[in-house]
Amino acid sequence: MELFRALAALAERPARELAPVADALLIGPLPEADAYTELFNFQLAPYASIYLGAEGMIGGEARQLIAGFWRALGQSPPPEPDHLALMLALYARLRELEDEESEPVRLEGLKRARLAFLWEHLLSWLPVYLCKLESIAPPFYKKWGEVLTEALIAAALAAGEPSQLPLHLREARALSDPRAGGEVEEFLQSLLSPARSGMILVRADLTRAARKLGLGLRLGERLFILKALFGQDPQAMLDWLAAEAQVWIARHKLKRESLGIVAAFWEERAAATLSLLEQLKQDARESTTS
Amino acid sequence: MKPNELNERVSAAREETERRGETFYPGPSRIHLASFPPKERWDDWVELDTRAWPKRVEQRYMLVPTTCFNCESACGLLAYVDKESLQVRKFEGNPEHPGSRGRNCAKGPATINQVTDPDRILYPLKRAGKRGEGKWVRVGWDEALNDIAARVRKAIEEKRHQEIMYHVGRPGEDGFTERILAAWGVDGHNSHTNICSSGSRAGYQYWMGLDRPSPDHANAKVILLISAHLEAGHYFNPHAQRVIDAKANGAKLIVFDTRLSHTATHADHWVSPLPGSEAAILLAIANYLIQHNLYNREFVRRWWNWEEYLSIEHPEIETNFENFERTLKELYGSYTFEYAAQESGVDARVLEEVARLVSTAGTRFSSHNWRSAASGNSGGWQVARCLFMLNALVGAVATEGGVFPNAWNKFVPKPLYTPPHPQMWNELTWPIEYPLAMNEMSFMLPHFLKAGRGKLDVYFTRVYNPVWTNPDGFTWVEALSDESLVGCHVALTPTWNETTYFADYILPMGHGSERHDLHSYETHDAQWIGFRQPVLRAARERMGEHVSDTREVNPGEVWEENEFWLELSWRIDEDGSLGIRRYVESKERPGERLGVDEYYAYIFENSVPGLKEKAATENLTPLEFMRRYGAFEIRKRVGAIYEEAVPPDELEDVRVDRFGRVYTATPKPPSSNIVPLPTIDADADGRRFVGVEIDERILRGFPTPSGRLEFYSRTLSDWSWPEYAIPTYIKSHVHPLNMDEGQTVLISTFRLPVQIHTRSANAKWLDEIAHTNPLWIHTSHAARLGLKTGELVRVETEIGHFVLRAWVTEGIRPGVVACSHHMGRWKLLDQGQRQMMATVSLDREGDQWGLTRERGVVPYASEDADTLRIWWTDVGVHQNLTFPVHPDPISGMHCWHQAVRVVKASPEDKYGDISVDVKKSHEVYEKWLRMTRAADLHSPDGTRRPYWLLRPLKPAREFYRLPSNETESTEPVGAD
Repeated sequence: MELFRALAALAERPARELAPVADALLIGPLPEADAYTELFNFQLAPYASIYLGAEGMIGGEARQLIAGFWRALGQSPPPEPDHLALMLALYARLRELEDEESEPVRLEGLKRARLAFLWEHLLSWLPVYLCKLESIAPPFYKKWGEVLTEALIAAALAAGEPSQLPLHLREARALSDPRAGGEVEEFLQSLLSPARSGMILVRADLTRAARKLGLGLRLGERLFILKALFGQDPQAMLDWLAAEAQVWIARHKLKRESLGIVAAFWEERAAATLSLLEQLKQDARESTTS
Repeated sequence: MKPNELNERVSAAREETERRGETFYPGPSRIHLASFPPKERWDDWVELDTRAWPKRVEQRYMLVPTTCFNCESACGLLAYVDKESLQVRKFEGNPEHPGSRGRNCAKGPATINQVTDPDRILYPLKRAGKRGEGKWVRVGWDEALNDIAARVRKAIEEKRHQEIMYHVGRPGEDGFTERILAAWGVDGHNSHTNICSSGSRAGYQYWMGLDRPSPDHANAKVILLISAHLEAGHYFNPHAQRVIDAKANGAKLIVFDTRLSHTATHADHWVSPLPGSEAAILLAIANYLIQHNLYNREFVRRWWNWEEYLSIEHPEIETNFENFERTLKELYGSYTFEYAAQESGVDARVLEEVARLVSTAGTRFSSHNWRSAASGNSGGWQVARCLFMLNALVGAVATEGGVFPNAWNKFVPKPLYTPPHPQMWNELTWPIEYPLAMNEMSFMLPHFLKAGRGKLDVYFTRVYNPVWTNPDGFTWVEALSDESLVGCHVALTPTWNETTYFADYILPMGHGSERHDLHSYETHDAQWIGFRQPVLRAARERMGEHVSDTREVNPGEVWEENEFWLELSWRIDEDGSLGIRRYVESKERPGERLGVDEYYAYIFENSVPGLKEKAATENLTPLEFMRRYGAFEIRKRVGAIYEEAVPPDELEDVRVDRFGRVYTATPKPPSSNIVPLPTIDADADGRRFVGVEIDERILRGFPTPSGRLEFYSRTLSDWSWPEYAIPTYIKSHVHPLNMDEGQTVLISTFRLPVQIHTRSANAKWLDEIAHTNPLWIHTSHAARLGLKTGELVRVETEIGHFVLRAWVTEGIRPGVVACSHHMGRWKLLDQGQRQMMATVSLDREGDQWGLTRERGVVPYASEDADTLRIWWTDVGVHQNLTFPVHPDPISGMHCWHQAVRVVKASPEDKYGDISVDVKKSHEVYEKWLRMTRAADLHSPDGTRRPYWLLRPLKPAREFYRLPSNETESTEPVGAD
């Protein structure tokens, strides 16, 4: 399906030769390269493993699972199998192979593969990612995200809901509870792992939190920033995070109709995060009063 | 707009864009392999000037394709020509090239170093003092051309054709210079092949008639490499990328290499045998397949010449396939894994595991040996033969994932003129002692000259440096210094080298981006041509200028060889009386010399199927198309030509002999592909050999005397080598039985990944990466000698010794040592290349020669600021000087491995010291000469050489006949 390939091409740095692609999608003109850098390099890195993995970082089991899909297709996985551009291009290619295939058994196999890829590796995280993108992206990428979201929703509706959750989500660990003896850092890390917390927190969000709460922003990786903010005012940070969780619950709820159990999973995760944050706030209040 | 409507819109936009021949998804992108500038923008490509950072300064380029000239692979390059200065700024890969697919090794982009090398030779030079004294004067091209042309003309007029010789290191173009020599009527082609790949070529030719394998690595299930293909082996870049493709798809890689090469580190099975034992292992694998009936029985029955074998060698038994199978089991039954383990030092269980793996490949078994063991050992040609036997057993011959004969994956387009075969035989290159030599006995030349077998009046060396590259370099120095042996030595070279010091003329020739050539190589199962061109000439022509001589655009007065040869030939025979001029005369403008534009325009318009039509789709002439894209794929997936039925219109008055060979009275149909093929003898009535009859069908078969794969070589048997008529293990000259107490094997045949022989020494990036060649020695071996890494060690050969540093490593078989042959460049005085040549002095006392390193490399001021940043001083040691000649009596290959003694250096030994006794080297030459079976004593039919065997620049057939006395044999016949 050419649409996905065109969207994939625009998930790369906006070289000026891509202008005809953007024009064809009716979302041009292309932005400057710095807009791409800010969005995809500094805020929302386009790698599935960040949003599906236990650590909220590139690589790990989530990437291996996606690489395994390439292997199952008889292909050798590329160096970054979970890069959004590659994943969309693979989906487009799978659809193209279906169009080229006339033998019924092989055709059925290809269709199964495509739908499995769609639900397991794209719809499991991409709508959530695009939801975040919509709130922070510059105009060009906002439009790009809208087209992609629509295309994904259309594909999901055409495919029908799967009988069970994608494996990434079935096996996703829950949020780490600092009261259960775990390290605070582990709790903070799990907050930054979308599949565990049900929400995506990018650097811009943490900057926003610092500004809103009047805290000092220490520049570094997200975990470093979050730790620094907690170190300054944990109670305020718990409040701020709880409000974020509520926003995410509402966002996920909107996707229930088209994404069914997948949206429900994300909503539940955000709700569980909210619940834990509320309990931690309560615990903190109690310890202060006592 | 809804997604499906947008989808249609995007599809339509893509279709429309691609219909215009443009790229819709240009790179860099992961969507396709599109990390290249889209071709429609090659006239005006914009990049930011990295040196101007952080300012955004745009730099506009014209992208012009050419072909790399830094090894044989002929990978595609794209030159980035600065539109403002009209200078090349960099080279990257050409995505339109079918062989390299836009990917290059380090040597390709380093062409820019060679072009801008401050030490390159820019003007023709003529010797001013004594030969070798290092005194030169700059001369004009006219003076040089007239002088050389007059000498050549005089030699031809005086019937001294045999005194003209052209000695080439790297052929720039398939057959160009051979045709020039043929036009002169001279059998004077000399190559480097017998110090390079002849061993392997012989092994392949005796099986399939063609001397080079073309493995389809990308589609193989199991790959067996005998050499270091992933770093420096034959067709390194095109093959390496396809080996990696296969590995990524799950193929298993087996590597035989005594060293832990980079390739071995990628292997699933690394086999480190005693050097020379490889054939024993291969036959043990073959035996496993045979004894367990794991071979492709139907393929063997149909395609091996077993009937010929049985009927000639076993007339006592009935000729049927079952009897052959029984015989086969008996023939190879003794090659057990235990025997191979005993010979190779590799555990029998490992060998069995490898054999099992080979047996799982089916017809997707690719294998390759080019140099390595085949070039290191006496009888090394049997290594390639035994390796290909595995392919022949499993039927992986010209199959997907198998090995093809090269000529089926190669296209040599017919040129404007094809002069006739020379009317003479050159005894200096094809001596009577070596009737089966695969190529010219080039490395024996100085010995032959000194022995009074002939002399040279004009000796051209071209991209060749025999003093440094060949064994026994001091004997070369002696011969080249003697003007009674070599009258005029003309060195055609872009850079200084050790041989140029002993030249009379040094004529500067262009690098890969400064010359025309046309190539085709067997990189995979396809046929393609690659065009090398002077990129600045092409760029100026794109801007509307006309360039008629490449010197107009090259730096200084650097020329290109094609124009040089055409001009020289014209001047040799300006009046046409010698019959040479007609082969270099323009057809478009009679009376004028042929130019390269006309030469290539003719080829591209008339001899390359599909090119004219393809060019027309872009409104280009075929020549314009090749100047624009640099390469063209003629055919993909050629497949098993031997299985193709011969069409009925080629089968007039057919005769079939008792072995199924089919002869026809139909003349050979014309072909625009003139790739060299063996000439198989006609039948007694002159009918042409056309194929073989198998299961009542007439098929094309193989270009061998039997038309089949030759398990049994009647040729070897008839020419008095019956003991090697079938694939056999020959114990090498470095087999433990042939070595003295205390000797060890020195492997001297391996390259360094980013360097190549002589030519890459003026590439600063490559020099920085690789610039020395220590002695690989195993930890246990070093401990016995009390050696540590960096300490000096003396390696004593049959004729002398060299001193270098030790590199103590676990990456080599204990008891074997190794030293790369890519290092140890030297210069006399201050003349030469300063980045990679140590300054040395040569000392001679009678037969004793010595080379002493005066100083290593140092930083120096030049127009290139990087030369002041040179941080290395060591450039390695020139080991080849201490090797005597070891010509294999059959293939003629120089057998490079050395039996040496390795000792800790004494206090008087200095790094880089070389000492050689040329009297001893002459004795070794004579010893090996005695191993031959000369044509005058062993020819079965009164000829010098089997006519069917490939030979560069074949003389007319009547000159294959042995003369009644040798004096007559060197009497040439003129070109008329």
